[in-house]
Amino acid sequence: MVSMRAWPTSAMLAAELLKVRSRWMPYALLLLMVAGAAILIWLGGYGSWVEERNDPEFGYGQESLRTFALPWSLTGLLDSGQFWGAILVGILVASAVATEHGWGTVRQALSRGQTRSQYLTAKLLGIAIAAAITLLLAFGVGVGFSVIATALADRPITLDVPGGPSVPDVALMVLRAGYGIMPYALLAFCLAVVGRSTTLGVVGILFFMFVEAIVLGILGEQSGWAADARAFFPGHNVQALLAANRIGSLGGNSLAPRDAALADLPDPGIAALVLAAYCAGFLAIAFVIFQRRDINA
Amino acid sequence: MLNDNPDVVLRTVGLAKRYRRLRALADLNLEVCRGQVFGFLGPNGAGKTTTIALMLGLIAPTAGHVEMFGLDTRRHLSGALRRTGAILETPSLYPHLSGRDNLRVWGALSGGVEGKRVDEALDLVGLRGRGRDKVRTYSLGMKQRLGLAAALLHDPELLVLDEPTNGLDPAGIREVRELISGLGQIGRTVFVSSHLLSEVEQMCDHVGIVKEGRLLTQGSVATLLRRGEVLEMRVTEPDRAAQLLGSLAWVNRVRRDHDRLLVEAPRERAAELSRALAEHQIYLSELRPRDSSLEEFFLQVTGKEAVQWSA
Repeated sequence: MVSMRAWPTSAMLAAELLKVRSRWMPYALLLLMVAGAAILIWLGGYGSWVEERNDPEFGYGQESLRTFALPWSLTGLLDSGQFWGAILVGILVASAVATEHGWGTVRQALSRGQTRSQYLTAKLLGIAIAAAITLLLAFGVGVGFSVIATALADRPITLDVPGGPSVPDVALMVLRAGYGIMPYALLAFCLAVVGRSTTLGVVGILFFMFVEAIVLGILGEQSGWAADARAFFPGHNVQALLAANRIGSLGGNSLAPRDAALADLPDPGIAALVLAAYCAGFLAIAFVIFQRRDINA
Repeated sequence: MLNDNPDVVLRTVGLAKRYRRLRALADLNLEVCRGQVFGFLGPNGAGKTTTIALMLGLIAPTAGHVEMFGLDTRRHLSGALRRTGAILETPSLYPHLSGRDNLRVWGALSGGVEGKRVDEALDLVGLRGRGRDKVRTYSLGMKQRLGLAAALLHDPELLVLDEPTNGLDPAGIREVRELISGLGQIGRTVFVSSHLLSEVEQMCDHVGIVKEGRLLTQGSVATLLRRGEVLEMRVTEPDRAAQLLGSLAWVNRVRRDHDRLLVEAPRERAAELSRALAEHQIYLSELRPRDSSLEEFFLQVTGKEAVQWSA
């Protein structure tokens, strides 16, 4: 008889990681994020700078320089990474959750003694760890591209510029960008749990981001309460977090279709709280519904 | 009220499930004791899978509850399930993982098992040679066998198997049947649902029959078969004989089959039956016990017999 030790949550997590890392999706996520970093650094940054560096009309390529050269490139990489990462992680989450229903493995997992909360928690943590590793790897590759491009441009490879971040500041910048991914990933998680459908999770998150961008654009044109209402949207608060990642007063290029205006953004601390409320809401809906429903498939 | 008989491993008390207006299961009271191989028989749609899903806590009952190992699963579901292995209908496996990795995942979810045990389980179902292949390359029969290995992986005290021979070839069916019978012989308790009567007859010592969400009967296979004993006879006046025999208290039912009568009655009362007929000037030209099978008994109790019975 197998001895029944204390119920090993770490074993459940290890099982989730085995499942996630055996799928092709995290590798596709890594590939796409690395491709995005390459486009940003080499095409949007270094390539443009080579063309513009002697042209006063383009400010001698200063904006392009900030796109690929350290430490300014960190802002652009994290800004792009948050936007595309939110979509790609959302797809990964929705797929990982919903396919368990399609394969019937959710029933098998629940009939082995783990509670429904343990099941969802282990799944969420497993995906979060896999996604975090993937995104950090992509960020690392992006930083590697930036180091090479900075060296090719004969610029010093340093964080020590006016308004430049310290190493702990860089860690905080990464955390801000990662935190900005969470509400969207948890929205996809919530929709996939509720609808038991990858399509619902993926389409739901894309639809939400699309509609949110339009609504924020319209509200931004208004004044008074309509403009203030933006403070309740996750996108506006994510932008407030990412604005805190800027180095100095000047921005660089990003692959995220984001409003460049920095005015009227909430305080990053308040923004973090609003996003936490969204995360808690999505988690609560997912856990309560999963706890109560019949698992027929 | 909890059952305090330590021999009862699985018990359902007034278990019922209703989906809006559809009654899937009604007032199911079952008891499965330690070491029994219990066959849960019923036609498709009778409520077998619903019962198993209720036992495993996958769906919530409309009424009643389940006890496993003396634990009320409304409060101790996890503890009870850790001592249980289960297969639900079709095998539920991760197609992108190898057979071995599937077992590693299921082992981790069962509290962790050693790699050696994974190999043993693969050996047990004859999949050691294909353990490193992705499950998506497996045939249905191989998936079924891997599902069985997953259910046995943590050496559970109770096995709950829903149609475990689905998709298996005759050799595979025989292997699974022998495996299940063998588990019973070493004291494991097995609850196996099936619509294949001959299969249940061969591997189960106890049986429950369910139809349209209601339990029609349960008991040991030997007892139930005795209840279904049939005497086959040829008589001089079949119609009058059927009428006469139908009125006897110890005759359950009488069926007319061309020129023969099939009388559901205990074999040891054959002489009394003969005397009763003779007293009414009806004479036997042939009388013999007919071998009774679980299939016949099943058809009787589920009312699916091809010929009309007269009581």
